[in-house]
Amino acid sequence: MIEVKHLFKEFNERQVLDDINIRFEPGKCSLIIGASGSGKTVLLKSLVGLYEPEKGEIWYDQNEFTCMDARQKKNFHKEMGMLFQESALFDFDTVEENVMFPMDFFTDWTYGQKLERANFCLNRVNLTGSNKLYPTQLSGGMQKRVGIARAIALNPKYLFCDEPNSGLDPTTAIVIDRLIQEITREYKITTVVNTHDMNSVMEIGDHIGFIHQGKMLWQGNSKDIMDSECNELNDFVFANNLARQLKANMSK
Amino acid sequence: MRTVFQTIGEYYNLMMRVFRKPEKWKIFWKQFWFESDKLIIGSIPIVSIISVFIGAVIVLQSANNMESPFIPKMYVGVMARESLVLEFCSTMVALILAGKIGSNISSEIGSMRITEQIDAMEIMGVNSANYLILPKVASSTIFSPFLMLLSFVLGLIGGAGIISFTGIITIAQYTDGLQFAFKAWYIYYSMVKMAVFCFIITSICSYYGYYAKGGSLGVGRSSTKAIVVSSTLILIFDLLITKLFL
Repeated sequence: MIEVKHLFKEFNERQVLDDINIRFEPGKCSLIIGASGSGKTVLLKSLVGLYEPEKGEIWYDQNEFTCMDARQKKNFHKEMGMLFQESALFDFDTVEENVMFPMDFFTDWTYGQKLERANFCLNRVNLTGSNKLYPTQLSGGMQKRVGIARAIALNPKYLFCDEPNSGLDPTTAIVIDRLIQEITREYKITTVVNTHDMNSVMEIGDHIGFIHQGKMLWQGNSKDIMDSECNELNDFVFANNLARQLKANMSK
Repeated sequence: MRTVFQTIGEYYNLMMRVFRKPEKWKIFWKQFWFESDKLIIGSIPIVSIISVFIGAVIVLQSANNMESPFIPKMYVGVMARESLVLEFCSTMVALILAGKIGSNISSEIGSMRITEQIDAMEIMGVNSANYLILPKVASSTIFSPFLMLLSFVLGLIGGAGIISFTGIITIAQYTDGLQFAFKAWYIYYSMVKMAVFCFIITSICSYYGYYAKGGSLGVGRSSTKAIVVSSTLILIFDLLITKLFL
């Protein structure tokens, strides 16, 4: 479980996160939604320690992450996996080497054991046989799947995904969403997903937090979102004609 | 002024992270040999070509400027040797390397920064500065003096080549000049200079790459800045080391 209490973060005197409070449960896909520039990525990067918040607490189960020193944080990072918006695969490594990268650093496994684990992870994301390809030889969706395989290589307790569907077609986006959901449930991982894709919200949103101008304005699940009375959320969710017509039809 | 102090502070902090014990020596050595091959072995062709031609040009210019019959022709060899060992093979080659390997390092690390590959390493718990920068700095600092030696030898061969081709002086006069009042200390001095310069190039260019921001334009900007700053520092340190050692 991850708990965020009264989190504040500013850049150049601009308040980017303003008193954020939210809780992410294990085995559930928690989504942070909001418009571009609302503070989603800053929140996610604060959660993983890439940004230092000005004020507030981040708890990982019984451990207060914000109080840890650099060495403790570094050790704690081994419990985390992250899928980046652009996948962030290492260009100079093959798919197999990318997945084995964290194992090289943090395990004393033999090459055979690492390869077995890499194959297992690649198989889990339906990429069997692509071991020797380089990231540039993969499609966007395949790169995301390699990113997921690398993120789960060391069985993390916490998984963070920053806009996993950006740049993907709707079909591939659903495949990635379902994969994240399956892995979360299978391994009881606490998963936090940043997205502004409403398909993802409806597909995998066990718990949803809506950020607007750095403030957490609304929390609920994918069913509650249709009946929300939060104007900012409605403006965001029903921004296009299709969504507005859907809502109108549902209310009839 | 604030920016200068901020840059120095950031550079110092980065170096404190770079010079830590590697997570795993096996990974470090793998990267060390990989970088040695890329940065040093990969620079041999350009260094060789430039050294041979500059050696030849120095000999030609020295010979053409020594018209007085009272100056022995062997001094062409002395001048070629001294010019090569004291300045060209360390400072000039370092400036060339700043362009070649400096831009390579800053753009490589800068691209990794803007595509979040460095963030990915940090989230895994890997000391990205140590993993990415230490092998580059170590390999180039250790092996670059050999590049200076290679440049020196090839420069002298270039000089000999142009002499045999033009007959401007005899090879015997040239080799006499090369051996005349030879100070081995100059070779060590030049090797030390080269090691210092390559430390400057790799660490400065890594720093600018590591803190690159603003997309591909930002990477380009940081590469340019890295080369300008490292070239300037090479010249400053050239002066300091020369004043200290000679």
